[in-house]
Amino acid sequence: MNANRREFFKTAGLTGAALLPFPWVQAQAERKHRVALIGCGWWGANIVREAMASNRCRIVGLCDVYRRPLTATADEVETLSGEQAELFEDYEAMLRKARPDIVIVATPDHWHALPSIAALKSGAHLFVEKPTSHTIGESQAMLQAAEAEDRVVQVGLHRRIGPHHRSGMEFIKAGRVGDIGTVRLFVVGRNRGGERPAANADVPNGMNWDLWCGPAPKRPFNPKITPGGWRNFLDYANGTLGDWGVHWLDQVLWWTEEKYPRSVYSTGGRFVSGAAVNTEQAATTDAPDTQTAVYRFDSFTAIWEHRNYSGNGSEKHRIGAYFYGSKGVFHMGWRDGWTFYPSDNQESIVHEKPQFSDTVDGNNLKQLWADFLDAIEQKRTPAANLEVAHRSTMLPLLGMISWRTGRSLTWDGERERIVGDPEAEKLMRREYRKPWRYPGV
Amino acid sequence: MANRFFMTRTLPGALSFWVLTAATPLAEDWPNFRGPDYDGISDETGWRKNWAEKPPAVVWKAEVGIGFSAFVVADGRALTLGHIQDQEVLSCFDETTGERLWRHRFPSELGAKFYIGGPGSTPTVDVANGLVYQLGKWGEVYCLSLEDGSVKWFRNVAQEEKLSVPSWGFNGSPLLSGELVVLNLGPAGMALNRQTGETVWSSRGDAAGYSTPVPYEDIVIVSSGDGWSGVETLTGATRWTIDWATRYGVNAADPIVWDGKVFVSSGYQKGSGLFSLNRGELPRTWAQRLFRSQQNAPVRLGAYLYGIDGDSSSRAKLKCLEWETGEVQWTEDTGYGAVAAADNHLIYLRADGRLGLAEASPKAFEPIAETKVLTRDCWTVPVLANGRIFCRNSRGQAVAVDVRTLP
Repeated sequence: MNANRREFFKTAGLTGAALLPFPWVQAQAERKHRVALIGCGWWGANIVREAMASNRCRIVGLCDVYRRPLTATADEVETLSGEQAELFEDYEAMLRKARPDIVIVATPDHWHALPSIAALKSGAHLFVEKPTSHTIGESQAMLQAAEAEDRVVQVGLHRRIGPHHRSGMEFIKAGRVGDIGTVRLFVVGRNRGGERPAANADVPNGMNWDLWCGPAPKRPFNPKITPGGWRNFLDYANGTLGDWGVHWLDQVLWWTEEKYPRSVYSTGGRFVSGAAVNTEQAATTDAPDTQTAVYRFDSFTAIWEHRNYSGNGSEKHRIGAYFYGSKGVFHMGWRDGWTFYPSDNQESIVHEKPQFSDTVDGNNLKQLWADFLDAIEQKRTPAANLEVAHRSTMLPLLGMISWRTGRSLTWDGERERIVGDPEAEKLMRREYRKPWRYPGV
Repeated sequence: MANRFFMTRTLPGALSFWVLTAATPLAEDWPNFRGPDYDGISDETGWRKNWAEKPPAVVWKAEVGIGFSAFVVADGRALTLGHIQDQEVLSCFDETTGERLWRHRFPSELGAKFYIGGPGSTPTVDVANGLVYQLGKWGEVYCLSLEDGSVKWFRNVAQEEKLSVPSWGFNGSPLLSGELVVLNLGPAGMALNRQTGETVWSSRGDAAGYSTPVPYEDIVIVSSGDGWSGVETLTGATRWTIDWATRYGVNAADPIVWDGKVFVSSGYQKGSGLFSLNRGELPRTWAQRLFRSQQNAPVRLGAYLYGIDGDSSSRAKLKCLEWETGEVQWTEDTGYGAVAAADNHLIYLRADGRLGLAEASPKAFEPIAETKVLTRDCWTVPVLANGRIFCRNSRGQAVAVDVRTLP
């Protein structure tokens, strides 16, 4: 609906409503959610497109520290919806001026906590990308804020709602795979070899690099970091385990009745990429290219494995989760849907194809966004709510702490403490760069 | 000239020439990206179109290295760029036999950021002086002998002039104009003396876009990541601008000038627009999001544009668009690829390696036939020259496809 039409309904609302047999239907349709986006990159634009496509939202504010994606997104919002969203560099100013009732946070991980908490405190509902945070303490503070403000939070774990994930989960939970003792989660990378450093460069015009780094360490600008590359810079994210791991580890917590593991151990390194470089002149990424993390639960073991090199010719699947049960192996995949390989060779393989709402990027953001709006309107808990997403985020973040310290961690999931290891426990939080302050107590 | 059955035009811009000889089959060289008229349309006639009865055959194959550089064909030679084992390589072949005549190489980074990497610019041949100009992926400029590839002059312009390097390197091809070689370096282009390589004019600040400088009148059109500029060829002075911000700073498809207007198009959901030529910020006639050229510009035949809409990663389609209104006339589900034109026909290469021929009509997609000539990913435009169509894929497999009509 364009601005003129909405204006018309505002002024002529009473007459219009009186003529309709069910005036409240019209009234409800007219009351669109006021949506603002923080982080106008690839994924933020994907979410905002779904918000517009839902016809239940109006984009009132866009925020980014880089002019280029900000104006590109504004341009797209204007041509697709006729709305002229207000543009901001500073999210605090946007929350004050644009008064959104929904805020989308689609920034790199190091910039999740502060804007999410500020949005919740301003009274907005929140859609925040996965993993919920960069360090454990931030996610805990976000959870506290959401509970204190009683707001609906949806986290971008679209695999919680994807049709083949739902049917696959039903298949497993119905006992078709038998008793499951091991789950193996994995991403096998493309054929990437040694990594060469790229030269540091001038900050692009229109980018506030200081603000981009924000509470995280301020490194020299390097084109490897943005767009997109920050996932493999540990100052700003947690590598493949943080990025991909959270999706698949979340599937484990969705399936099991256990809420957390008892212990975590991870090992790995940059065995193929080579040592990380970070000088005044040049930089490489610094996340491990090889990593294994073992999660000990009471009734099963979960194993994460990634390697960002080597082909997959020796295995049927390149990505996903294997649930190993007494009746066979169940593979939950991405573009390859799910497949059950029965132990009994006489039985036939069961397969289901994926159904994505966005076939290009292979996701179900549309359903996730609709579920979020329904949850707000019906005052219920959404599919990928902050509580479950927080627990799922703990798994990769604990894996990274174990990898950094090089030892096994005992996890008290009730109190969310690492037991008997003060040095590891320190890594649940980090020092923020001034003037930003680490959230929570 | 290699093919004695055809008359061959070697001087670009001699438009009246083909009018005089329109009745006879006309072959033509293709010395620069998008051809002698910078529009992706070949004036060649009399080539074989009965592909349905007899599919055209591959006459030679070559390995040219990773990348997206198109072929140029001039003076009996076919040239393109690729990345082979830590080097950027210009390969020069005999146009007829595919025999490799020489290679020019220098150390280079593959630059495989979210894609396979390799060079994306196309060399430019100066037939009259027997030279070839090359813009390397990271801003190296070479002037080479067409005869043997020996270096006439070289400058690492990006380093010397401390230019911002775009995320995927420099991908525009050199434009030869008068005494100058004009390059899409810097936010609004750069010109070097074509004999010495000395800088004549330059622009500073943001990184360049990925398009090739397109000339009209006394202007060249260059791109940055945030828009387009019409600059005076001799001085680099900005005559006009188009604000055209794209998400990743990719303005790669060459603009098209016609009828007092300029058409621009970009991918990543951006769309296209038509602007009236003027001074200052150009007024917009229309803009839409239904035609998005990620890398390859469409071709304009009459009052219609034909080209690929959508990104290489998306469900891209071949579309026909009305110039005046931007309205889509028809859509064909081809997937990603690139389109060239000759003799009112579309010659298109799908990403999966199928080379197709269709009559150009704004009423409907009028396919003639397709033939598989390569494997994926073919993102580079096919080039018709002297009765052969030169195609390549991103991994560096190249083929010459014979469409000559034998007397």
